[in-house]
Amino acid sequence: MSSIHPDQLTAQRLAGMARPPADVPANPAEGDGTLIDEPGRRAPLVLNNRSFKEVSDIICGYAENKPPRWWLPAILLSGTLAGIGGMFIAYLIITGIGTWGLTNQVDWAWDITNFVFWIGIGHAGTLISAILCLLKQKWRTAVNRAAEAMTIFAVICAATFPGIHVGRQWMAWMLFPLPNSNWIWPNFRSPLLWDVFAVSTYGTVSLLFWYMGMIPDFATLRDRADRRLRHAGDGGPILMPFIPVRTDKIRAFVYGLLAQGWRFSSRHWHRYEAAYLILAGISTPLVLSVHSIVSFDFATSVIPGWHTTIFPPYFVAGAIFGGFAMVLMLLIPARELYPNMKDFITLRHLENMAKIILVTGMMVGFAYSMEFFIAWYSGSQAELYAFINRATGPYWWAYWTMISCNVLSPQVFWNKAMRTSPVVIFIVSTLVTIGMWFERFVIIVTSIHRAFLPGEWHMFSPSLVDIMIFVGSFGVFVTLFLLFMRFLPVFAMSEIKAVLPQANPHADQKGGH
Amino acid sequence: MTDQCPSTTKGEKKRPGKAELASLAAASGTIHGRKAWRSLEEIADTGEFRDFLEREFPAGASELERAESEGTESRRDFLKLMGASLALAGAATIPGCRRPDHKIMPYSRVVPEDSLPGKPLFYATSFPRPDGGAEGLLVETHEGRPTKIEGNPLHPMNQGKPSIWALASIMGLYDPDRLKYPVYKNPARNARVEATWDDFKTWSQHFAQYESNGGEGLAVLIDKKSSPSRAAAIAAFRKKFPKARWVPYSPAESVSGAEGTRLVFGVPMREVLNMSKERTRIIVSLDRDFLHLEPGEMANSRQFASTRLVMSTKDTMSRLYCVESGFSLTGAQADHRLRLSPTQVTAFARALAAYVLPKLGSDAMGLAAAIGDVSGGDAFSSRFVEECGKDLLDAENRGKSLILAGPSQPPEIHALVAALNAALGNIGQSIGYLPMTEEEAADSAKGIAELTEAMAAGEVSTLICINTNPLYDGPAGFAEAFAKVPTTITLSVESTETAAASTWSLNAAHYLESWGDTQSHDGVIAPIQPMIAPLYEPAMSDLEFITWLTDRSAERVDGYEVVRNVWRGFVQGDFEAQWRRALHDGVLHNTQQRTQAPRVNFEAVAEAMVRMSGQAPKGLEVVFQVGYPADGRYANVAWLQELPQTGTRTVWDNPILMSPQTAAALNLEPLHYKVEDPNRIYTKDTYPYAQMATITINGRSVTAPVWILPGMADQTVILTLGYGRQNSGLVGDGVGFNFYPLKGGRRTAECTVARAGGRHLIASTQNHWSMEGRTSIVRAVDLPRFQKFGDTVIPKGHYLYGDQFPTKDSLNFAEQLGELSHTPPNRSIYLNPFNNSKDNTQPESTYSQGPQWAMTIDQTLCTGCGACTLACQAENNIPVVGKKETAKGREMTWIRVDRYYTGDVNNPDAMFHQPVACVHCENAPCETVCPVNATVHGPEGINYMTYNRCIGTRYCANNCPYKVRRFNFFDYGVTKFNGAYYGKELVEAIAPDRQGITGSGKHNKVNPNLIPPRLRQKLDEIERMQKNPNVTVRSRGVMEKCSYCIQRINAARVETKLANLPHIPDGFFQTACQQACPTNAITFGDQLLKDSAVSKTRHSVRSYWLLGYLNTRPRTSHMVRVMNPKRELCDPERVKQWDEPPMHGAEHSHPAEGHSDSHAYFTIPSRKRDDRGYALSLRVLGAKA
Repeated sequence: MSSIHPDQLTAQRLAGMARPPADVPANPAEGDGTLIDEPGRRAPLVLNNRSFKEVSDIICGYAENKPPRWWLPAILLSGTLAGIGGMFIAYLIITGIGTWGLTNQVDWAWDITNFVFWIGIGHAGTLISAILCLLKQKWRTAVNRAAEAMTIFAVICAATFPGIHVGRQWMAWMLFPLPNSNWIWPNFRSPLLWDVFAVSTYGTVSLLFWYMGMIPDFATLRDRADRRLRHAGDGGPILMPFIPVRTDKIRAFVYGLLAQGWRFSSRHWHRYEAAYLILAGISTPLVLSVHSIVSFDFATSVIPGWHTTIFPPYFVAGAIFGGFAMVLMLLIPARELYPNMKDFITLRHLENMAKIILVTGMMVGFAYSMEFFIAWYSGSQAELYAFINRATGPYWWAYWTMISCNVLSPQVFWNKAMRTSPVVIFIVSTLVTIGMWFERFVIIVTSIHRAFLPGEWHMFSPSLVDIMIFVGSFGVFVTLFLLFMRFLPVFAMSEIKAVLPQANPHADQKGGH
Repeated sequence: MTDQCPSTTKGEKKRPGKAELASLAAASGTIHGRKAWRSLEEIADTGEFRDFLEREFPAGASELERAESEGTESRRDFLKLMGASLALAGAATIPGCRRPDHKIMPYSRVVPEDSLPGKPLFYATSFPRPDGGAEGLLVETHEGRPTKIEGNPLHPMNQGKPSIWALASIMGLYDPDRLKYPVYKNPARNARVEATWDDFKTWSQHFAQYESNGGEGLAVLIDKKSSPSRAAAIAAFRKKFPKARWVPYSPAESVSGAEGTRLVFGVPMREVLNMSKERTRIIVSLDRDFLHLEPGEMANSRQFASTRLVMSTKDTMSRLYCVESGFSLTGAQADHRLRLSPTQVTAFARALAAYVLPKLGSDAMGLAAAIGDVSGGDAFSSRFVEECGKDLLDAENRGKSLILAGPSQPPEIHALVAALNAALGNIGQSIGYLPMTEEEAADSAKGIAELTEAMAAGEVSTLICINTNPLYDGPAGFAEAFAKVPTTITLSVESTETAAASTWSLNAAHYLESWGDTQSHDGVIAPIQPMIAPLYEPAMSDLEFITWLTDRSAERVDGYEVVRNVWRGFVQGDFEAQWRRALHDGVLHNTQQRTQAPRVNFEAVAEAMVRMSGQAPKGLEVVFQVGYPADGRYANVAWLQELPQTGTRTVWDNPILMSPQTAAALNLEPLHYKVEDPNRIYTKDTYPYAQMATITINGRSVTAPVWILPGMADQTVILTLGYGRQNSGLVGDGVGFNFYPLKGGRRTAECTVARAGGRHLIASTQNHWSMEGRTSIVRAVDLPRFQKFGDTVIPKGHYLYGDQFPTKDSLNFAEQLGELSHTPPNRSIYLNPFNNSKDNTQPESTYSQGPQWAMTIDQTLCTGCGACTLACQAENNIPVVGKKETAKGREMTWIRVDRYYTGDVNNPDAMFHQPVACVHCENAPCETVCPVNATVHGPEGINYMTYNRCIGTRYCANNCPYKVRRFNFFDYGVTKFNGAYYGKELVEAIAPDRQGITGSGKHNKVNPNLIPPRLRQKLDEIERMQKNPNVTVRSRGVMEKCSYCIQRINAARVETKLANLPHIPDGFFQTACQQACPTNAITFGDQLLKDSAVSKTRHSVRSYWLLGYLNTRPRTSHMVRVMNPKRELCDPERVKQWDEPPMHGAEHSHPAEGHSDSHAYFTIPSRKRDDRGYALSLRVLGAKA
C-alpha cells in the first residue's frame, strides 16, 4: 500500500477500486461509528480522520477524474428517456392535449399530479439548506449541496408541466403580467397565477442559494486546475499526473468564471456568510409558502375532496416527506457507487433523514385521517362521498397504495436497526416516492372524477403520452443529477472542512469538538 | 391540389381514363362519359379552358385583330368573355361547391329585397318526415345559405318546434358524401362512370318501351311521403303506366295501426291526438312512445305537456299509465309504469278491457264476453289493472281519457283500444281519426315481398327506387332478385347501398333545394320552398322526377309549376294571393282536416278477440324500434349519431337491448358489470365493453353487442333499426349493426340470443345510472304533497340565500326540498364586483339594471328528447367528436340531458331527465380560478367565455360543480370529421382493412385525432357552409360552454335600439334550446321585467337552484318535477310522505311541528343578530355585506 503514490491511491478510491481503511468499530450498535447516542460523546460528522487535503482531493476528484465506468451508460439511459419524453412533449404540443387521457370531467390528471409531485420533491433541498442552516444543524453540510441540486432539477421538471399542460402552449405567456394596450391583466384571484409567482420565486431563490454556496468550492476547483497548469509549465511534479492538462485549461476558465473572483479572503468569507444567512432567511418562508400556494389550487375550489382547509400544512409536510425520500433515493446509491462518500454521508445522516421521514409521514397520515373526519363532520353528502369513494371507489387501489406507502411503510423506522440500514431506508424511500405520487393522483383524479352531479361522473385512464412524459421527466431529473455529480462539487467542501475536528482549535483534546 | 368538394374517389367509383371514356361512348352510343369537374383547378385542365387562357390578355389583342380581319368576332365579344371569366371565378369561390351557372348574378348587384348582408333571413318551408307526416319550418339563411332549421310557429302541427330529424336535416344538405351527379354503371363492362343528367335524359329512350306496353315490367319502389303534389304526380304516372308495379315502402313501419283500424272502422285510419288539460285526465299507453319519433310527436309532446303543467298548487295534471317493453321517453314521463313484454302488454290490454268494458253498457258487453277472463299471472297484478280501470271509469274522467296502443301490439289490440276509446267516449274528444291514403296504409313488408318474388321471377325489367334503399333494408333474397333486374335506377339524396349497385344512380335535390309540398299528420298542407339552388345542379326532386318520367317530352320540369298546378285544384279563391300567403306563412291555412269519429264495429273486434286468444309467448320476444337515423337514411348525419339515446345514453351504436336480469340469465352482461351493485355499473372502466352475441330469428342471424337497459321487460329484446349502413359516407359507414334482415314476420318468430365471443366498445355520454341518493339534484314531488305544501315558505332565507330578488326573502317549496334548508349562511370576505346580493335593492346595484338574463328548466315538462342539444349544436357550431372521443368523455354538447334512474336497478321506479347547461352562476367558481381572465362576468348576469383569451388551463372546468364546460382537446371544429388525413396511404399500407379512413364504426381502431393536425384535412367548403357566421368556430386548446346564445341577445339588443324601445321585450327572441323544446320546458328572458315569462317561472314555488347550497347562485333554475300517482297504487311509505312538509328533502324527516326553527338555526332570532353583526364587521373591512 505504501508503494503507491498517495494521489494514485485517492484516484483508485474514487474509482471504487480501493476501499477506505477499515476502521469500523466493533460495536455494531454504533454502525460506522456515528450512531452514538451517549450524551457525553459526539458522533463524528466525517469518518476516517480525513485531512483538509483529503477532503479537497476526494470532492474535487469527482469533478476532475474520469467518471466511473457506470456513469456513461447511466447518463445515456437517462438522456434517452429525457429525449423520448421531449419527443412526446413535441407530439403533445403539435397534436393537442387530447393525446393525454383527460376528459371533460377529469381535466387534470397526470399533468398536475406530476407538477405537484416534482414541486414537492424540491422542498427537501431548501429545507436542508435554509431551515437546518438557521437551526445550526451541522450534519446538513454533508447533504445540502446534493439536496439543493435536486431541488433545482425537481423545480425544472415541475415547471415543465404547467407550461405544457395548457391547451394552447404557444399562448402560455399570457400567464405573466405583461403590460399591453388592451389593459388586460392576468386574474390575480386565480391560484394558478399565484403558482406562477410562487414557483418562479422559489426556483430563483433556490438557484441563487445553490450557486452562492458553490462559489468557494468553484474557487477551489479553479485553483487546483490552475496549480496543475503551473506545475506542468514548470516541469515540476504534478499532483494526479493522469489528469490531462488541456482539460485543466477549460476547468480553470469555467470554474474561474463561476467562482467570480473568489480569493478566500476573510472579507469574502465574511460577506459570504452574511449573504448565506440572509438567503437562508429568505428561503425559509418559501419552503412553507410554495407548497401552500400549490395546495391553494385545490383548497380554494368548490370540488369535494379539494375544498379543504387542511391542505396547506398537509401539502408542506407531504413535500418535505417526499423530498427527503428523494434525497435518500439519490444519495444511498451514490454512497455505494462512490465508496468514500460514506466518510461524509454517514449512517447518522441517513438515520436523521429517516427520522424526518417518520415524523412527516405521520403528519400526512394524520392529515389523511383528519380529511375523513372533517368530511363526516361537515355533514355534506358530496364531501363524505368523495372520501368514501377514495377508499372504496374505483380508484381504491391508488388510495391504498398511497396509505401503505406513505403511512405504513415509514413505521419501520421506529426500529433503530431499520432506520440505520441503507437498504431498508432506500426501499422505504422508494415506496414513499411512489406513495407521494399517488397522493397527488388520488387528490386530483378521485376528487374530480366523481364530483357533484353523478350524471357527469367519468373515469380517467392515462395514455401512452401521459406515461412517457412522466418517464421523460425522470430522465431529465436523473440526467441533470448525473451531470451535477460529474462536474460540480457534490459536497460543500468549505463547510465540511469547517466541521472537521481539525477545524476546532481544541481538536486534540479528548471529549469531542 | 385541394378538392373543393368532398372526396368522391372512394370505393369502386373510379374516374375513367380518356381511352375508357372514348370506348364507353362508342359502346353505349348515348353516353359520352363526361368528366364531372368539381373545382376551378380541375376545369382549368380542360383543353378549351387552356385555349381560352392562351387567348387571354395580352394575347387577347390578337383576338381583336383576328376578329376585325375576319369580321366574325368583335371587341364586344372579347369583353363578354372577359366578364364571364371573372364572374365564373367569383361565383365559384363564393358559394363553394356550386357549379357556375349562367343564371348566377353577383350578389352585390341584385341583392334580394329586405336583405342586409350580415343579417339572417328566415324563410318558411316544411319538412317531410321520413316516417310520413310533416312539420312546418323556418329556415335561417345567411346570404342565401341556409344554416339552421327552426320550427314555424304558424304551422298548427308543430307550432314552432322542430323535431330532431328536422333539426338535423340541415346536415343532410351539406353532407359531403351525398350523391352529387348521376353515375352510370355500364352493364357491358360493369364499370361505373360519372355521367350527367343530360346523359340520363338521352338514355331515357329506354322508357319508350314502357310507354307503349303500359308499364309492363316496370316497378317503382318509393318511400311513403305525405305530399299532395307528389300524390298527384304519382296518380298521373300510374295512369300512364297502369301495368307498372307501384310499391310504397317504409322499411321500419308497423302496420298494426292501419290493420287494426281497418278491422274496427272498415277503413285504415290514423289517430290524431287532441289532448288538453280539460279533455285529457287519464292517459294509458300500451307500449306506445307517443312522445318520440312518430309522425305526430311534436303535437303530442306539446299537448301532453299542456296536460302536465302545474304552476300553482291549485293546478291539476293528467295521469299517465305506461305499460311498455322498453324504457321510452313516454315511460320516463309515466306516473305508473309496468315493464311487460309485448305479449304481456297484449294480455294487459285485454285484462284492462275485460275490467272496463262490462261497466260501459250494451255495445261493449259482447266484446267483454269475447275477451273473457284474463289474468296477468306473474307479470302484472290485477290490482294495477283495476286501479287503472277505475281511473278510466271514474265519472270525472269519462270521456276525458286516452288509451294508445303501440307498434309492437297486434292489429287486434289496436282495434280493441279503438273500441275502448269509443266505449269510454274518448273518440271525438282526446282522440280523433283521419282516413289513411292508400299509399300510407300499404303494407310495406308485403309489398316488397311481392316485388322480390316478381324480380326473382324475372317479371321486372326496370326497377326505380325513389328515396328507398332496399339493398340495405330489404328482406332476405332481395339482393339476389335485384341482381336479376337488368336495369335499376335509384334517385336519392343520400349515398346508399342501392344507389351504388344501380345501373343509374341519380342525385336528388334535398328538400331544402327544391319545390314541393307536404301534408302533416293532422292534414295541414304546407309548401316546401327551396332555400338554395341545388348544390349539385342539376338535380331533381322526387316530385320532379316522377313528373318528368310521366312526360319525358318536357325539357325541364319545374317543381314550382308542378306544385302550383296541383294546388290550383284545391285552393279556393284568389290563387296568387293564397299562394303568396302560403309561401310567406309556410302553411296553407285552413287545411287542417277535421278529425272524424267513425263508428266502431264492436262485433268485429269481438271476433278478433276470440280469434287471437291462445297466443302464448315462446322464448325471447323481439321489439323493433326506429333509431335516430330514422329508417337508416340519416346514418351519415353525425349530429344524430352523437345524440345520446334514450335510457342508455349510448351514441354511435345500436346494441341489442335487454333488461339486466335477461342479460344475466343469458350470460351476456356487459364486461366488469354486476347487477347487484348499481354503483359499479359501467363506471369501472373508461371504455365500457359489451359482449358480442348472435341473435337468430327465423333462421337468420346477426352478431351484435348486447347492452342493458334497466327498466326493460324481461325476456324481451329491443333491436334498433337504421344502423349498420355500409355505403352512407364517412360518418355512418359501419356504425352499429343492421337488424333489418331479422325484421320479417311479426311475433310468431322464435328468437334466440347466444354468446358469440368478443367484445365491443360502447360509447356513452353518461356512464352513471343512479343519482346516488343525492335527491336534491332532480327534485321530484307527488302532486298531493305539492298541493298541500306547495305554498309553504320558510321565512328569511334572504341573507343566507344571497338572493337578488327583494321580494324573495324566504325558501320556497322547491328550495325546502334540498340542502339549502340545512346550509349555514354563506359569508365571503370577497364579493365579486357584480355580487350585490346584500344590497340589491339599491338603485346603483349592477344587477338592478336590466336586462338581467335568466333561464328556467321545467323538469315536469322535459321529456328528455334531446332537441335542445341538437338545436344548440346547430346554432353554436358545436362539433361532433366521434365514438372514441365520446367514450373518453369528451363530447362537446353545451346542453346535455342527464338521465337518472331511481330505485332498484333491476326494477327501477322512474327515469328522470335533467337538462344541464351552463347555469351562469352569479358567483361563478370558474371565474375566480381562470388565471388569464378568459371567463368573466358580464353586467347582465352572463358568464362570458372569451375564446381568444383562453389558453386552456382547464381549471375552470375542474372547478365547475355542474361540469358543463367543454374543452377542445383537438381541432374538432376545424378538421374534417373522422379525420381523413393526408397520410392515409401510409395507414392503408399498414392496415389495409381501414381503407385509409378511420372513424366511428368499423374503422374505430384508430382515433384520427391522434394524428397531428397538419396531416389532417380541414373541413370541406361544403361543410363549412352550415356554420353559423355569428358564432366563432373554436380552435383546439380552448374551453367553451353555453353562452345563453349571446349572439341572439346582441342581435336583439341592436333591433331594440333601432326601434327605440326602452328594453328588449319579453319573448322578442329565444335561445336555441328554448326555441326547440317541444314542451316549452325551457324559459328564458329578462328576470327584471315584472311580467316576463322567466320572472314568473323564476319566482315559481317549484323553482330551485341546482346545487344552490354552494352559493353559486345560478341564473338557470330548475323546476321540481311533479308526478301524479294514484294513491292506491303507491307504497304506503310514499303516501305517508304526502303529509310531510318538505323541509328536509327525502333524506330524513322530522316531526312536522316546530321543526322549521329547531333545525334551521339561522332562523333563531339571536343567531340572526350574530350574523348581522358579522355582516357589519365585513362592511368595516370594506366589503359590501
